[in-house]
Amino acid sequence: MTDLIPITALGTPGGTQPQRARFGALHLAEDDSMGLASFSLRRGQGAPQAVALPGPGGFLGGFAQGQGIGALWMAPDQWLILGTGQALGDFAAQVAVLLPGGCVTDQTDAWAGIEITSDAGPGPIEALMSKLVNIDLAGFGPGRATRTGLEHMSVFVLRRSESQIAVLGMRSAAASLWHALTTAAARLDHARGTA
Amino acid sequence: MTRLSGGLIDRSRTLSFTFNGRSYPGHPGDTLVSALLANDVRLVGRSFKYHRPRGVFSAGSEEPNALVTLGSGARAEPNTRATVAELFDGLEARSQNHAGPLGFDLLAVNDLLSPFLAAGFYYKTFMWPKAFWEKLYEPAIRRAAGLGSLSMQPDPDAYDKGFLHCDLLVIGAGPSGLSAALTAARAGAKVILADEDFRLGGRLLAESHTVDDAPATDWIAGVEAELASLPNLRLMRRTTVWGAFDHGIYGAVERVADHLPDPGAGVRQTLWRITARRVVLAAGATERHIPFANNDRPGILLAGAMRAYANRWAACPAQRVAIFTNNDDGHRTALDLLGKGVQVAAVVDTRPDATALGPYRTYPAAQVTNTWGRRGLTAIRVAHEGGSDWVTCDALGVSGGWNPNVHLASHQRGRPVWDAAAQAFLPGACPPGMIVAGAAAGQGSTHAALHSGAKAAQTALADLGIVANLPDLPRAEDTPLNLRPLWHVPGKRRAWVDFQNDVTVNDIALAHRENMRPVEHLKRWTTLGMATDQGKTANVTAIAVMADLTGQSIAATGTTIYRPPYTPVSLAVLGGGDTGAQFRPRRLTPTHPWAQAQGAVFVEVGPWMRAQYFPRPGETHWRQSVDREVLATRAGVGLCDVTTLGKVDVQGADAGVFLDRLYCNPMASLKVGMVRYGLMLREDGHVFDDGTCARLGAEHYVVTTTTAQAGPVFRQMEFARQCLWPDLDVHLISTTDAWAQISVAGPQARALLGRVVDGFDLSNAAFPFMACANLTVCGGLRARLFRISFSGELAYELAVPARYGAALMARLVDLGADLGATPYGTEALGVLRIEKGHAAGNELNGQTTAQMLGLGRMVSAKKDAIGTVMSRREGLVSDTRILVGLLPVDAAGPVVAGSHLFAEGAVQQTDTDQGWVTSACYSPHVGSSIGLGFLADGAARMGEVIVAANPLQRQNVRLRVVSPHFIDPDGGRLRD
Repeated sequence: MTDLIPITALGTPGGTQPQRARFGALHLAEDDSMGLASFSLRRGQGAPQAVALPGPGGFLGGFAQGQGIGALWMAPDQWLILGTGQALGDFAAQVAVLLPGGCVTDQTDAWAGIEITSDAGPGPIEALMSKLVNIDLAGFGPGRATRTGLEHMSVFVLRRSESQIAVLGMRSAAASLWHALTTAAARLDHARGTA
Repeated sequence: MTRLSGGLIDRSRTLSFTFNGRSYPGHPGDTLVSALLANDVRLVGRSFKYHRPRGVFSAGSEEPNALVTLGSGARAEPNTRATVAELFDGLEARSQNHAGPLGFDLLAVNDLLSPFLAAGFYYKTFMWPKAFWEKLYEPAIRRAAGLGSLSMQPDPDAYDKGFLHCDLLVIGAGPSGLSAALTAARAGAKVILADEDFRLGGRLLAESHTVDDAPATDWIAGVEAELASLPNLRLMRRTTVWGAFDHGIYGAVERVADHLPDPGAGVRQTLWRITARRVVLAAGATERHIPFANNDRPGILLAGAMRAYANRWAACPAQRVAIFTNNDDGHRTALDLLGKGVQVAAVVDTRPDATALGPYRTYPAAQVTNTWGRRGLTAIRVAHEGGSDWVTCDALGVSGGWNPNVHLASHQRGRPVWDAAAQAFLPGACPPGMIVAGAAAGQGSTHAALHSGAKAAQTALADLGIVANLPDLPRAEDTPLNLRPLWHVPGKRRAWVDFQNDVTVNDIALAHRENMRPVEHLKRWTTLGMATDQGKTANVTAIAVMADLTGQSIAATGTTIYRPPYTPVSLAVLGGGDTGAQFRPRRLTPTHPWAQAQGAVFVEVGPWMRAQYFPRPGETHWRQSVDREVLATRAGVGLCDVTTLGKVDVQGADAGVFLDRLYCNPMASLKVGMVRYGLMLREDGHVFDDGTCARLGAEHYVVTTTTAQAGPVFRQMEFARQCLWPDLDVHLISTTDAWAQISVAGPQARALLGRVVDGFDLSNAAFPFMACANLTVCGGLRARLFRISFSGELAYELAVPARYGAALMARLVDLGADLGATPYGTEALGVLRIEKGHAAGNELNGQTTAQMLGLGRMVSAKKDAIGTVMSRREGLVSDTRILVGLLPVDAAGPVVAGSHLFAEGAVQQTDTDQGWVTSACYSPHVGSSIGLGFLADGAARMGEVIVAANPLQRQNVRLRVVSPHFIDPDGGRLRD
């Protein structure tokens, strides 16, 4: 193991702890533990037999049993593979073994992940999303994911459950993403307080 | 006090507000105007051009006259329609567009000059002398004509935006909108109901008639309660849908806090982008007036507005009123006012068969031909069959019929259609998915509105496969208007058509005489229908007046184009509220926190913030820091975060073929473990971008781009992959953010790297210039190493996962202390590459070719690539300008980038221009300023003295033409 100490995407000097914030029912937490890798099928290569990768707009958590690995559709024949707790290893190498024959590129540090959870059901989550992303929530239940614009940034939004989403944004723009998310969440909280 | 009984105001609470500094009382439920009228304030402003005293004209968002400045200080907002300003405690309002007090406006002299201020006067009058327009005429006209002024202070409020999606958007919550929303929401559709008012009900709130034999507010309350209980309906009060855009997208502004004294930590307004599968437009109708002489005095207003003030707000502009009408609706106002105890002096009805509907005097076949009253109406002149009388009254309600609000139906260039039976323009071709209901569709009786709204919702949902049942709708009035059109009262005196722009019937007649007859010309010549009200109370009347003059029908005269916004929208809310540091996203490098801790000065490079230089104690000028960083790099080793350069991972069986077609030079032949400099051309043969291409495996390349072109290059690559050559097996993904990349440059670079790599052989033999490898550093951290140089020194770029970037940088600085390891920023980076003669963004500005860069031979003749063929065209090949180095003849002289190059003694003009200076800096290595530039026949002019002209600063500097390589022209340092 290297003795270099990593910092989180939102890290300040010595910023080894992920950021967290709470606004009313909404909890925002930076997640720097996810391993990420892109996987794409070679021309003519059939879909992997071992696992059922999701179709367009789909997100599948835990498709490889017991390994905490999920996948979301990125483009035709291309997926982003997510591995809970796999950030510090060589996740791309792991994916290449799990899904042989395709092209794999490490994406772990390309993205900053923010998990947003509501402890008051889907209402606050959906109110937050309606302030940030142009997604028709009627078709965005658990198991859906999409790439979309958020405050001029390109992000992935994953609907993990009715009351939890994950937002993946460019690591370099993590501070701007955090600002956008926390500002919107704080305003919703304020509006609820004054309603 | 002219406060009447009843009304939808909360008399249990009193609010205090000020108008022009004077304090008045009002109640919750009041608007600024209803409260002013209840306090006997009729004069609220001055007209745009003639500065005539003006009062309130309407009771809604169509208001042309009552424009005020709300708030004070930084929150002062000019040109707000007082008719829709919801009253709150502490509201401050001021009138605008007058010199001196509102009651005695010095600029009212314009009214006496009115013969000189006719339509198009500024096109005709201020033609000479030409120079006077900008300095004298225009400022004077702008001072005299106009609206309110901005505060000139930053807006202190927060603005928000959001996105909504629905099956059905219902615009307007009057009877038709409410019945549409109820029908759709009961069927389970996802519905948004938006209304600009703060209270649901629309016109029902302004009327006295009953719904199901009870006050209309009872029915509204029932509907409101049911709507509130349906989770599939979103009710948006104080929300104006202001534009219909493509693909079912509607713009809406929600005034979240405009009715509060201070929004506090909340937002003031929210801009909603609503994507609706279907839309019911239930926007109602706007009453029209009938122009007659001197019809603009305070106290003269729309009859329906007068009725609205009486019924909803228990306010009336006067105790003694008259009505001028061409239909039965005017009589309703008379009846409602009588019922509230207001004296009705007369109803002047243009129809010969008119009879009174109540105990008031009616003049049939009569017209109002003049009015009296300096700052407010005191009498009207009535011409009737028996002669002409002055009738004393302090307010006059005018009713000329109703114009459906077809605006949003027409936003996609749909032209409204004239309906002779309704004597109104009805919606023509609507935006896809929109159905118009209620008064907006000419279904103006309450009964018709309720039923058409429900039917429209049912039809719209049927389109979506949703079955909706028609609700049981209440009994409501269904009386016809019995209108007989009269578009203006003939006469020589000025009769206003458009109050906001001071356009009279005479102005339209003048435009007609001057052949400005098409309505679009009429609009521009007279300014009719412009400004904040967009002619809501004027346009149709003006078209009818023009039709009268031309003898054409109204249908043939046509309309102007309706465009968003329906009512004014503040730029602040359109901007989405992001200002200052949050104006756009910022990208930070992996070493940003470390650089911050070092006290780095940062510079914006596109979206990135990069360390520009690292000042040390005692350095008082940036040049001191930069010179030190440059010299330290050339003497020892320098460290720079170069993560911002674009990185694209390219994999696949055809990766080499693909890159051969993208780069003008070959890449398929690149050996695994090696890096090659590459040039990409545009289709037109000019240089698109440069960078390095590393081959990490047989089917795995990493392409780097310049920072500025990272996005465009990736886009071009994706375009090529998806559209040009979809048959190739190529896989692309950006890894720019995934890797922190640090340049380690200088003679001690190898020594320093040797201290972090895990047993990797860095010797020249094992890892020569332009080699690359996967390796581990610092005890097992996966990394990539590239032996490439931008500085001209022995140099490497080391990449590690981004989260380790800051730690790696700190480690390198720490371990390299004895080697002189020095972090450097973008300024030193620039100096180092100019000294080496490497091209960068300044040289790759989209106008230059490989040949101009001295890299013409890189364009391979053995293969084709994007831009190769076009790079060989005569126009580019014959260009003799080429990159040269430039040294000032006087060593103390400056070299200024952007200067143009001329032969010594030549006249300096376009046809003698020989090139330009692209980059310049002070070179601590050379000991003077140096530059790079493109110079005609440059290769043959080494040693020649030329002139760099900088006419903006009156500079002419003599420069000597030299090689662009100021250091190590043979490249020995790179390969050492």
